[in-house]
Amino acid sequence: MNTELIISMSLVGAMLSMLGMGLLIAYYGSSKTRNVGFVFLIVGAGLAYYLAEIGMNAYPSESFMNGMLAFLGGMLGGIIGIIIFLVAIIKS
Amino acid sequence: MDMSTNNLDIMEFFVSMLIVGIGVALLATGSFTSYFGAGKSQKIGFALLFSGAITLALVIDMVFGTIGIMPEQFEKTTFEDALISGVSALSGMIIGMFMILFVLMKVDTVDDLEDLDLEDLEDLDLDEELKKLEEELNQADNNEEDNSEEDK
Repeated sequence: MNTELIISMSLVGAMLSMLGMGLLIAYYGSSKTRNVGFVFLIVGAGLAYYLAEIGMNAYPSESFMNGMLAFLGGMLGGIIGIIIFLVAIIKS
Repeated sequence: MDMSTNNLDIMEFFVSMLIVGIGVALLATGSFTSYFGAGKSQKIGFALLFSGAITLALVIDMVFGTIGIMPEQFEKTTFEDALISGVSALSGMIIGMFMILFVLMKVDTVDDLEDLDLEDLEDLDLDEELKKLEEELNQADNNEEDNSEEDK
């Protein structure tokens, strides 16, 4: 179960970075760089399709959704921690 | 595809990782600020470092019950699953970013040089260009002198 969780969540992370970075590169890049950005966007969309259609049947959906919840919680916690740091630094 | 939210364990997965995230962020920012900061900033850094360590110690107590302040609030196996999924998603993001950086560095994305006509630059005779510029400057000087004499 852990192996499936690791693979599925790693794919989610890679998909998110591909979609995010691809979007930025495709928007702000010029000619060749922009093409590379579009390729990353397509790869990210392909990963999203794989996770939504094929991956959800391959990996147990309950643990996958709980893993997503844990990931979201971790990210949100990190953001809150950084906000606490910024508030402490700015207020001083 | 089953995306139902009925079986989501918000307390075990979301809240536990939220506290871990806050603790790790405080610990990381605190260690940087206490090391690189000076005076008041350094003190704030130590405070952040201390609060991050306290938060993480509390989480460990909540899972394993080693300290005894709030023992065993989270189930050990589910917490491990949450930690594994959070760490693997972050690793996936880092791997994805490295892949993007690698591709961007390998692909020749510097295409501004193609717009430059290097052959034109090679054909330029700098000495001739300098002579032309000197002649133009001399002509301009002569014209100014002629004008001033006429005024007199």
